[in-house]
Amino acid sequence: MASLDIDIGRVEGQRALVRQRHLKMAAIWAVVFAFLAWCFHGTIIQDTDWSRIGGANGVLGSLGRFLALDFSLLPELVIPTIETFMVACVGTVLGCFFSLPVAWFGAANVTPNRFFFYPAGRFLMVLSRSVHEIIWALIFVSAVGLGALPGILAIAMRSVGFISKITAEAIENIDKKPVEAIRAVGGNDFQVMYYGILPQIYPVVLATVIFEWDINIRRSAVMGLVGAGGLGLTFFRQMNSFNYGGVTMVILAILLLIVLGEVLSHFLRKAVI
Amino acid sequence: MTMTETNPGPAPDSGQTWSRYGATGAATRHATLLAVLVFLGYSLHFLNVDLSRLLGTFSGVWRVVSDRYYPPEIAYVANAGYLGAILDTLQMSFLGGFIGVVCAIPLAWFSAWNVTPSRRILFPLGRLGVISSRAIHETIWTILFVSILGFGMLAGVSALTMFCIGFAGKLFADEIEAVDMGPVEAMRSAGASDLQVFVWAVVPQVRVAFTGIAIYTWDVAFRAATVVGFFGGGGMGWYLKRNIQQLENTKVSAIILSIIAMVLIAEVFSGWVRARVNRAK
Amino acid sequence: MTVLKVRDLRIRYADNQPEILKGISFDVEDSDFMAIIGPSGAGKSTLIRCINRLVEPTSGSIELFGQDVLALKGTALRQLRRNVGMIFQEFNLINRMSVMDNVLSGRLGYTGNLRSLFRAFPQSDISRALALLDRVGLSDHVNKRADELSGGQRQRVGIARALMQQPKLLLLDEPTSALDPKISREVMGLIREIASELRVPALCNIHDVQLAKESCNRIIGLQDGYKKFDGETGTLRDRDLEEIYAMEVL
Repeated sequence: MASLDIDIGRVEGQRALVRQRHLKMAAIWAVVFAFLAWCFHGTIIQDTDWSRIGGANGVLGSLGRFLALDFSLLPELVIPTIETFMVACVGTVLGCFFSLPVAWFGAANVTPNRFFFYPAGRFLMVLSRSVHEIIWALIFVSAVGLGALPGILAIAMRSVGFISKITAEAIENIDKKPVEAIRAVGGNDFQVMYYGILPQIYPVVLATVIFEWDINIRRSAVMGLVGAGGLGLTFFRQMNSFNYGGVTMVILAILLLIVLGEVLSHFLRKAVI
Repeated sequence: MTMTETNPGPAPDSGQTWSRYGATGAATRHATLLAVLVFLGYSLHFLNVDLSRLLGTFSGVWRVVSDRYYPPEIAYVANAGYLGAILDTLQMSFLGGFIGVVCAIPLAWFSAWNVTPSRRILFPLGRLGVISSRAIHETIWTILFVSILGFGMLAGVSALTMFCIGFAGKLFADEIEAVDMGPVEAMRSAGASDLQVFVWAVVPQVRVAFTGIAIYTWDVAFRAATVVGFFGGGGMGWYLKRNIQQLENTKVSAIILSIIAMVLIAEVFSGWVRARVNRAK
Repeated sequence: MTVLKVRDLRIRYADNQPEILKGISFDVEDSDFMAIIGPSGAGKSTLIRCINRLVEPTSGSIELFGQDVLALKGTALRQLRRNVGMIFQEFNLINRMSVMDNVLSGRLGYTGNLRSLFRAFPQSDISRALALLDRVGLSDHVNKRADELSGGQRQRVGIARALMQQPKLLLLDEPTSALDPKISREVMGLIREIASELRVPALCNIHDVQLAKESCNRIIGLQDGYKKFDGETGTLRDRDLEEIYAMEVL
């Protein structure tokens, strides 16, 4: 029957489509695995001196050194831990201040000028995120010298991108009706921003800032590796003096701080939203 | 009617008063604000940060950059050795990202409360795995692996793997916890095992999102891979460290610029691939 | 006495787009409660927004309280706006703020930046806000968030906010279209009452012809950017309505 022929034809067509899709997926996976094999060959096979690692025993031996905890280091950890926490907090707050103008410039609907400030704001957002915090820290250490300040600045600069990007998106998605109302009562630009825009975006912005602060505690703990103080510096010293038990102690301190940060940010988020 | 005439309206003095927050509310708010300000001020004091130095920083950065780091020696980053390092970085990030994502999938399954095979044992283990690999910064992982495995890309790949497990594991677990539980219940009521439930009810729902997250993970891993070399993990970071130590400032600025350029390219590429994956779903 | 004189008002949003208003002229007297009726898309909202310059007209003239509105800039424009209370179709409240703060925001045109920053409105404003909230029947909801209220209650907040400005003219942009019929009549009645109590003239966009006939003394009919009718409510004939709503009848 004619209708049956048509049905078979359609089934055949669908089967061909499915086959085509499978072929495409297979091709993608083949490329991925070929690339993977090349990466594996280049890094692990060519670049690794297995004899120096010394087999499983060697690795276990190196690992074992980290297990002899050095509790005598405990008193020396208190101040760097506090410093790390403080650098994260101050850096986040400073990052928020830097983010304000960047978000303002980079939000298409409120930017003061579409041809200069808007692209400038967008560029700063991308720049801030594409430079790793370690590189920011290196730049600031060479500009202002050793100490906590370059760490604070590095964290602030690294935070600007994410905070201002989310803020700008929130500004672009606001409901325009309250803004119109504030303009209609005779409000000036500041009042329009403060009453019309700010109440709409602040839950999103605060959640973002808390999220970023939580990450900044991790970042703050490594600033010392390039000379910017805190737990990273202690870590670096313990490592350089081959005191592996001390290294583990520093890592435990970092973990403690991060758990504290998780708990605090959980409560802050609840209090705010 | 002129502008100077008194405006109409009800008698302004109704004699009633009102305050935005109750007495305790206002006190709490002011106390919190004060506490935060005092903490920040004390932090600056404790960290020995001079505010006047803060204000001078950006002109300082400008001066240092224009005096020492300008002009960047672009020729240096175009030589074969450095281009090889860029390839190394790419290889490390891809391998670390891939292994990390593969390890993250079971961990995310264990640590998703709604479909975990065992809430008593595997759930806490999964969570611990994800949280601890996230908690430790990629640079610290690098230093640890260098001290165990020696300098080179093996240490870099291992560090990036740990980083990606934490990064992708959390996003995967969040995604799994947001699935529609209908198919899960249907599979369970049909007598499917936990693994069967995961493969038949969860994976089809999260497949596209997972692909997107995996590509994003590679993007972030590449950014991290540019600095693992700084601590002995191989790739571009190693050139950065060497030139900083030798005070080759113009080469350093060229390297930093090349890192920014590569990260931007990676970001654009990953965005493009993710958009394609989303369209193909 | 004439409060508002609009002459040959034209507007188009972009050069390649058709005109929204095609030469509108009318006067508003100080005793008027005037309705603007017409099908949707006739330009009612645009017309009303031209009067306090939320929308910029392309040409024509607007004279409000003897001032040339289109010549005003910056502070002078804001001072004009604070004399014109506006009530919106979708209330345009700040949802995350309390009812009281929404009403107080009607005073922003009179408030400096520093006071605005701390939301520290003078005691006289607070007393006035409480009196107005009492007048519109919201005394029990002063500290609630605006988004906790029902539609009718939100529009009452909108009314109180507009009255906080001590306006000399009210602009009403479809104040009842988002409400159900019963609440619509209550809210319209309240606006009508307060406007006559305070002797403030009003200009009101309205879709519902019946409601316009009940509450307004004069009616302007707009169709496709042209004025098709202008006269006392009693003189509006079915033939005029047919002309105004010609598009919809077809």
